[in-house]
Amino acid sequence: MRLETGSDGEIVRAVLAGDRDRFAILVERYRDRYARYAARMLGSADEAEDAVQDAFVRAYDQLGQCKEPDKFVGWFFLILRNRCFAERRRNRTSAPIEAAEAVAAADRTDGGAESADRRRALQLALLELTPDQREVFVLKHVEGLSYGEIAERLSTSVPSLKMRMHRAYDRLREQLREQR
Amino acid sequence: MSEREFHPLVKQLLDGDVTLADLPAELRAEGEEALLILGAVDRRPVQLGDFTARVMAQVVERPRRTFWRRVLEPREIRVSVRPWLLVPALAAAAALVLWLGRSGPAASSSPALVTVRFVLSAPDAHAVSVAGTFNQWNANATPLVRTGDGLWTATLTLPAGEHQYAFVVDGARWVPDPAAPAVDDGFGRRNSVLTL
Repeated sequence: MRLETGSDGEIVRAVLAGDRDRFAILVERYRDRYARYAARMLGSADEAEDAVQDAFVRAYDQLGQCKEPDKFVGWFFLILRNRCFAERRRNRTSAPIEAAEAVAAADRTDGGAESADRRRALQLALLELTPDQREVFVLKHVEGLSYGEIAERLSTSVPSLKMRMHRAYDRLREQLREQR
Repeated sequence: MSEREFHPLVKQLLDGDVTLADLPAELRAEGEEALLILGAVDRRPVQLGDFTARVMAQVVERPRRTFWRRVLEPREIRVSVRPWLLVPALAAAAALVLWLGRSGPAASSSPALVTVRFVLSAPDAHAVSVAGTFNQWNANATPLVRTGDGLWTATLTLPAGEHQYAFVVDGARWVPDPAAPAVDDGFGRRNSVLTL
């Protein structure tokens, strides 16, 4: 891997001009952040990895359609988001069980049983939200974005996001109580 | 208020707008219950290993798109819509136009046909259709079918060439694609452009 810097826009333009290897810089730059987003959206680290990989390959294929190279990451996020929504639609019946098992397996080597149980319960409850509710929860409370930043990324308004999030809080409370 | 719903002040606590100490005494227990949710959020990174190398291996195998690859291979065009243009309850929306493939060889005397799938994510919509130059802008001619998780889809076979279209949500709201190429329709509205 070449240690190289440059703005997203510069890299996108270089890749489009034929310097294919520089696409790896964008992958390195954003892979971890978006793998976590995908993992929380899909409830499975394996599915998340596949989704992020597909999204990067698709972004490469369609790079010419990235109208604002300096905003590559926002454009990439929307490709990944569509991929995650479609994946959840295909797998929604089996994913919660896989998710719980994946979380439980990861926790065996990381942290106490009580916190592992709470994480597992929340992950299951998150998967019972609508994708839109789950997404705003993940972006705010996992990724740490503000409502303003989420609104910009999803091209929506802060009040509508808050409404969605507040419904998510109520639904999570309901789900977590049912799990007890 | 239902027992199942958090008090609005508790929701503000979860949003980070107020602290537990700001809540009246009778809401403290509910606030503590709510904060347990945030305490259980899993922010651990996902381990990806040699992920970048695997992506680049796939990229290397894919030649830059030539004319014939563009014509013969499926491709996906992402379309997104701004929900605040829609009814307030309409949540985040996004649409895909998926080029599924050409039917039959291109003939010199007649345009080839391309199968296109329109997908719109509009979870709070009650009805969605697509209207465009291919159906004489008839908002009732091509309804999308709800497939789950708020997604709406319709598959059409269209002649190769340029088409203009917009989604029609709940029979009244015309939604163009702000991200895709668009043209002014001459009546103050923007239409999306799909080139097949």
